[in-house]
Amino acid sequence: MAHSSETLNPFENLRLELRRGCLVLAVLAELRSEQYGYTLRKALAEHGMAIDEGTLYPLLRRLENQGLLVSEWREEDKRNKRFYRLSPDGKLILKQLLAEWQSMNASLNGIF
Amino acid sequence: MELLDRYLQAVKFWLPKAQKQDIIAELSEDICSQIEEKETELGRKLNEAEVEAILKQLGRPLLVANRYLPQQYLIGPVLFPIYRFVLKIVGLCYLVPWVLVWIGLMTFGLSDRAQHPSGSLIGALASLWGPLWLAAFFAFGVVTIVFAILERSQAKSRFLEDWDPRKLPPVRDPNQISRASSIFELAANTVFCMWWVGIRSPIIVLGQSAARITLAPAWRYFFWGFLFLAFANIATSGVNLLRPHWTRARASVRLVTDVIGVALFCWLCKAGILVEISIPTVAPAKTLEIANAINLWMSRSFPIVFIVGVVIAALDVHRIVRVKTADTRPLRGVAAAGGLPQQ
Repeated sequence: MAHSSETLNPFENLRLELRRGCLVLAVLAELRSEQYGYTLRKALAEHGMAIDEGTLYPLLRRLENQGLLVSEWREEDKRNKRFYRLSPDGKLILKQLLAEWQSMNASLNGIF
Repeated sequence: MELLDRYLQAVKFWLPKAQKQDIIAELSEDICSQIEEKETELGRKLNEAEVEAILKQLGRPLLVANRYLPQQYLIGPVLFPIYRFVLKIVGLCYLVPWVLVWIGLMTFGLSDRAQHPSGSLIGALASLWGPLWLAAFFAFGVVTIVFAILERSQAKSRFLEDWDPRKLPPVRDPNQISRASSIFELAANTVFCMWWVGIRSPIIVLGQSAARITLAPAWRYFFWGFLFLAFANIATSGVNLLRPHWTRARASVRLVTDVIGVALFCWLCKAGILVEISIPTVAPAKTLEIANAINLWMSRSFPIVFIVGVVIAALDVHRIVRVKTADTRPLRGVAAAGGLPQQ
């Protein structure tokens, strides 16, 4: 009953765990301006936070269900695309999360 | 684009009905964007192999769809350790004895083997697998269903979150002998000795009915053998009562007395110990039939007695190993802090 994550080496396992929480923060921060899935993925990759579509789209759905994002289907370049942006609640949560992240970062720097 | 359509169709199959169209439209748009970008980069249309590479990178349709689904499990991480523990108990206390008794009956019980169509030992043992799988399937199936129901109730009522540290069982030392069990053993063996001494004679007369039971001459061996064992058990229980902690010496004595006891029981099963039963109001032919039937059933119970004996001896050996390990293991944790009695 070994999980796939258990088969990774310990560093990779811990790195993925660490990254999981940061990804939410990165996605919320990127969506301060409206984007659709593909461009969002590219923007994240350019900032060193590459994410595959199998992780991004379910994450966007969860954040939207939590009321942190709003989305709408719109036609662009003759194709229907779903555009996401932060909701007012999302903006508030992002602010709180950033403060939390900075506080954790300061604490960790103190420990190191 | 036929490959892409086939891929999307396969993903769509596993998605929740209400979200199928929405998710597929978004996923399709992303893949099309990837293909388009690649085509711009190459300055030509992608061939099937290149599209295939993109789809392979996305992952198996079932896994892709799975990421959109809520986490689901039959038995969750909270109950799973208990579930695994119960399965082990079922295996050890139900399936293992079941297999041992079956093997015992087929190995020693010729009449049981003869009832089997093939008649041979190997054929009889081979036929074990059918009923064994059925028994295992049934036992594990029932446990799984019960735990699946518990999981559903746990998810709703969160009953596992309601607990009290003061209700946890006390720290247990497996080598500690409970005084209650020593007192019980002492009393049971004393009562047994008093009763046993009364049936020393191989001819037993039962009460006022004048019914007589005549035992085989070998009876005297059983009489003295069981009496010796009872005295040995009284001595061990007495020492255990005063020093309630297993030592290698006492654990070894217990193994020896248990092995002798089992050997005597096995012999008793096969000895045809009942020679005659005499009841004034019953015809001799009938009482002879009764005596033969009792001897036959004792003989037939031999495999069960033997297997039970093997299990008892194995537990005794395990106890010796446990005591030996405790003797050599460095003390640590709670025991080192004085939480457990030390030898």
